[in-house]
Amino acid sequence: MTDEFINKKFLIVDDFSDMRSAIRSILRSLEVTQIDQARDGNDAIAQMTSKRYDVVLCDYNLGPGKDGQQVLEEARHHLLLNIDSIFIMITAENTRDMVMSAVEYAPDSYLSKPFTKEILKRRLDKLFERKADLKKVSKAMIVKDYNAAITALDALIATNPKNLPDLLKLKTEICMTANRYDDAMVIFEQVLSEHEVSWARLGIGKVFYWKKKHQQALEMFQQLIELDPNLVTAYDWLAKTQAELKQFDAAEQTLHAAVKISPRGLKRQQQLGDLALSNGHSEQAETAFTRAVSLARNSALNHPSLLAGLARSKSSNNKHIEALKIIGEITKAFPNQPEALFYKATATAAIKQNQGDTEAAAAAMESAEQAISQCGELANSKLGLEMAKTYAQLGDHDKATALIQSAIANNHDDEEFLMGLVQVCREAGFEYDTETAIREIQQGVVKTNNTGVYLIKQGKFDDAIHLLHEAAEEMPGNKTINLNAAKAMIIKMEKFGASMDDILKVRRYVERVQTLAPQDWRLHEVISRLKNISPTA
Amino acid sequence: MDFSDVLASSIHDIKNSLGLILNALNELVNDSNNHIANPRQASLLQHETQRANSALIQLLNLYKLGNAQLVARINEHNLDDFFEDVIAENQATCRALNLELTQTCDSHLTGYFDADLIHGLLNSAIGNAGRYANTKILLSAAIEERYCVIRLEDDGAGFPDALTQCLSAENAAHQLIASDSSRTHLGLYFASRIAALHRTPDGRTGMIRLRNAYTLSGGCFELWLP
Repeated sequence: MTDEFINKKFLIVDDFSDMRSAIRSILRSLEVTQIDQARDGNDAIAQMTSKRYDVVLCDYNLGPGKDGQQVLEEARHHLLLNIDSIFIMITAENTRDMVMSAVEYAPDSYLSKPFTKEILKRRLDKLFERKADLKKVSKAMIVKDYNAAITALDALIATNPKNLPDLLKLKTEICMTANRYDDAMVIFEQVLSEHEVSWARLGIGKVFYWKKKHQQALEMFQQLIELDPNLVTAYDWLAKTQAELKQFDAAEQTLHAAVKISPRGLKRQQQLGDLALSNGHSEQAETAFTRAVSLARNSALNHPSLLAGLARSKSSNNKHIEALKIIGEITKAFPNQPEALFYKATATAAIKQNQGDTEAAAAAMESAEQAISQCGELANSKLGLEMAKTYAQLGDHDKATALIQSAIANNHDDEEFLMGLVQVCREAGFEYDTETAIREIQQGVVKTNNTGVYLIKQGKFDDAIHLLHEAAEEMPGNKTINLNAAKAMIIKMEKFGASMDDILKVRRYVERVQTLAPQDWRLHEVISRLKNISPTA
Repeated sequence: MDFSDVLASSIHDIKNSLGLILNALNELVNDSNNHIANPRQASLLQHETQRANSALIQLLNLYKLGNAQLVARINEHNLDDFFEDVIAENQATCRALNLELTQTCDSHLTGYFDADLIHGLLNSAIGNAGRYANTKILLSAAIEERYCVIRLEDDGAGFPDALTQCLSAENAAHQLIASDSSRTHLGLYFASRIAALHRTPDGRTGMIRLRNAYTLSGGCFELWLP
């Protein structure tokens, strides 16, 4: 079906009024009637907030202020785009390098300037057709039912359509999200047996990484970079793998090379800053955080930890006055947010400590404690880490150790988080043996889990529920424990009926996980089983 | 300031201008009340504007090639679909020149290549063929000797012998630029470099070939992609 876009609502975003009218006249000639225009990024966000658009045509280069990528990030972050809306990024330069650097927030399509009526029409026809084909898949993805999404995708793949290569790639992405690594691996290998393709090789590297075959992952990513020195995602994964292998200096080098190729990635600059700071390269850290702060200024992804990181690195370079000034900006940029107060307090403590003012440092830590208690029982584990790091810097090793143990317990199976934790301890010059602690705490949590599962199998539901409930109260931030506690109760309710009280209890576990990790692949099964249970008493 | 940044920013400006010219021309051509411009002249202007755009992309890519910054991002693409994209971009100009631009290939045929690079390359090649063709230009693709062969033919007078012979020698295109920096030669040089960016681990490398009278009477530009 073509011309499906005629009745849709369009938004044109360009800072150049002649360009806007030119695009509008193209759309008019395609019989589109509902066309709005925005002159810059803020204008675009304001209009997208008050009205849902079906198609957004946004120029990448929007003059001073937000660029097109930041508009897209903010729109996706604040859910201003529906699942079937289409965001097209218009670029003047070659789009190829951007495609690879905007992995997390990629537009539906790129369109390079100048384009004619015919090109725009063909592009819109194709995009709407694709959205229509993938309707079932998207629906399943919204409710995070990854297995249903894969089944729907398999049905499409079986018809051997023209866009088969795209569908296979999409399938691997969903398989990876659903932790179905072996299924993804089959496709990667099948694709590579036909021809060398970088996304498939990258995929194999990622599977190795997630399966903890770090050495093999390392070799795969290095090989990719050799084949294509501009493939910036390969650098990101290589750095992650190197950090996992405790090659922290090498990881910093890798990220350094990556920001040279693609300096606009906010997350990458922050990671580089964090790594450089913990490697004792405070000047490089300052450079990276300065860039991150300036990139974040117009971005929806701005976060108080960026200014805090900049202040810490300035202070490490003995620029304490500048550092304190930056700290003053944190609460200005994020008014009324306990998280911002927290970062302000911990960074202040670190700077005061560097200045030798231990009393002021201790006072700042008290404010930090207050701020973190306002963040609730699920206070981001990252805050706990930041706090531990600062306590270690202040020499209060008991408090630091307690915080680290609780952070490990809450995240015992989150490799990436634990890697960050090891790094933080190193950064703080903390002598505590993190790796032994991780191993011991992991064993404890795994044992509790296994005992719970064993008790369920034995039919001792109440014992299992009691055990897992206690554990979940002790580690409210542990997703696996919460999910297993929920599952134990669900199995019991499925067998013996449910009370409203029990259902509410399960919901609390589920809500915790939803808050911690809305994308968690295990959530869907638990939620749909819970939905089928109604109170009997 | 880095030269590539200056280049990128200039290209951004020039492309904006070209875009506006193209759209203004489009409106002129389609406006029945317009008595100022001769539609044929306007169409020719459109054609030249698109060629200027292709030349600009080529310039940027040549600069990147010179700095070893240009890498082919190879993916599998359906050729029928890909050709439709290329035709959508060039149909209007060909029509204005009274040329019929068509494509033919198996609807399930796929090839491995960098779609952006090959698309740009075919735009230039079609622009070139448009100057020599009498009535038609034909795009086609087939798998031959384990290569995906994309052909662009016209029904004009064909390539001069000097050119077809020159290219039969391996990688001779690289020397073309030294002998003659005319537009056609620069285009061929560029095409051969882009083709050569397509490589496989088993040692096969992309290349271009020129011949005459393949299925149409005129020139036939061939792109061999491993």
